[in-house]
Amino acid sequence: MSRFEESAPARGGFSFDLCKRNEMLMQKGLKPSSYLKTGTTIVGLVFQDGVILGADTRATEGPIVADKNCEKIHYMAPNIYCCGAGTAADTEAVTDMVSSQLKLHRFHTGRESRVVTALTLLKSHLFSYQGHVSAALVLGGVDVTGPHLHTIYPHGSTDTLPFATMGSGSLAAMAIFESKYREGLTRDEGVKLVAEAICSGIFNDLGSGSNVDVCVITKGNREYLRNYMLPNPRTYVSEKGYSFSKKTEVLLTKITPLRELVEVIEGGDAMEE
Amino acid sequence: MGDSQYSFSLTTFSPSGKLVQIEHALTAVGSGQTSLGIKAVNGVVIATEKKLPSILVDETSVQKIQSLTPNIGVVYSGMGPDSRVLVRKSRKQAEQYYRLYKEPIPVTQLVRETATVMQEFTQSGGVRPFGVSLLVAGYDDKGPQLYQVDPSGSYFSWKASAMGKNVSNAKAFLEKRYTEDMELDDAVHTAILTLKEGFEGQISGKNIEIGVIDSKRIFKVLSPSEVEDYLQEVE
Repeated sequence: MSRFEESAPARGGFSFDLCKRNEMLMQKGLKPSSYLKTGTTIVGLVFQDGVILGADTRATEGPIVADKNCEKIHYMAPNIYCCGAGTAADTEAVTDMVSSQLKLHRFHTGRESRVVTALTLLKSHLFSYQGHVSAALVLGGVDVTGPHLHTIYPHGSTDTLPFATMGSGSLAAMAIFESKYREGLTRDEGVKLVAEAICSGIFNDLGSGSNVDVCVITKGNREYLRNYMLPNPRTYVSEKGYSFSKKTEVLLTKITPLRELVEVIEGGDAMEE
Repeated sequence: MGDSQYSFSLTTFSPSGKLVQIEHALTAVGSGQTSLGIKAVNGVVIATEKKLPSILVDETSVQKIQSLTPNIGVVYSGMGPDSRVLVRKSRKQAEQYYRLYKEPIPVTQLVRETATVMQEFTQSGGVRPFGVSLLVAGYDDKGPQLYQVDPSGSYFSWKASAMGKNVSNAKAFLEKRYTEDMELDDAVHTAILTLKEGFEGQISGKNIEIGVIDSKRIFKVLSPSEVEDYLQEVE
């Protein structure tokens, strides 16, 4: 039946069928439903032994902080990690999918994954969705050809850089990098610089906040420093709790029912048949 | 006899109730190089002969034992190219399972899915059955496991099994030698001795392949030098 064929979804992939309708509705004034975005600060830099990635941990839904401690540094391969900014679902799904593809590729080739492989898989996927998959990524890792750092934009373009920032806090973080980055940083200097850049994003951008996550990738080793810095500790209510002194004393409890007012209509019309 | 008239078409039963093509596939397996597997208390070992057609072949480029997931490995007897296709499909299925359930696939599930693929090729048009039997060795939450999958799509769990050319001698040898409380090292030695039984020529680290999985749940194919060490111990 032709009706069933139209309603069945196309084989795999995103269905663009409703995009025209959505645009028409938006022109008429319908506000699109809000989704969880990671107004974010994500950064990466190349140091002498490898790559360091950093991210804040706030996930926002419009003006509300939806997650105070989310993970924005995603695992791609034992030697490759990826920070994600944009729609949280998109970054999660895309990095998960490419991580799975890299794993299969490792089985088939018997070799360590290369950063350019992850880069190409991600950018081809994002390009084929024409920017509708709202994921801006900072991809970094160390493979046989050396340390690599790339940025990937939602439409599928990429850059290869020695230091990079993305997200709403990217300008604040880039200001720190531009003034303090130099080639040949040691591990401690690099981690300190990354943490400083993320903190700059946390304190100066509304979309970023909470804690600092850092990931250090070197040849043959990686350290995922979850919550490396906690510059926004919460002050909780004291464990003793509150004690309110009794100022009033209850003398008498009396319930007075209100008089019911019932109107009786005499000689009302009978129901019409 | 009456069967031969029904032997060309895969999807037609013969009067005796058999699918003759599958019987032929099993014959193809039976003429392949011997392979075997033994389940020990704390792991599983699978092994196979690696006889190359000529001394000019670079033996380091040939690997018959493959891993499907970090904790599941497989060896075959029969047509090598068919096993490559199955290994590829199984790896993809294992990865899809992981993406869906975020749990490493249990050995029985992977075996079942591989067997389903093999069965599909016995009930479709324009295809032929796979000419391989697989021995799948894995270690998951249920402990060490060894499964055999046939071209028909049937699978069995074994304590020890053999396939290929020397199957009857190998199985008889295993029946005598197998004990319930065998440890992994003993199992490797027994596997080597079983292979040695029917081996034509001089056995060495270069013409057999051994894969083991222990309680650490990592499947590993032994390097030729490691195989040589075990061979020395057996001597």
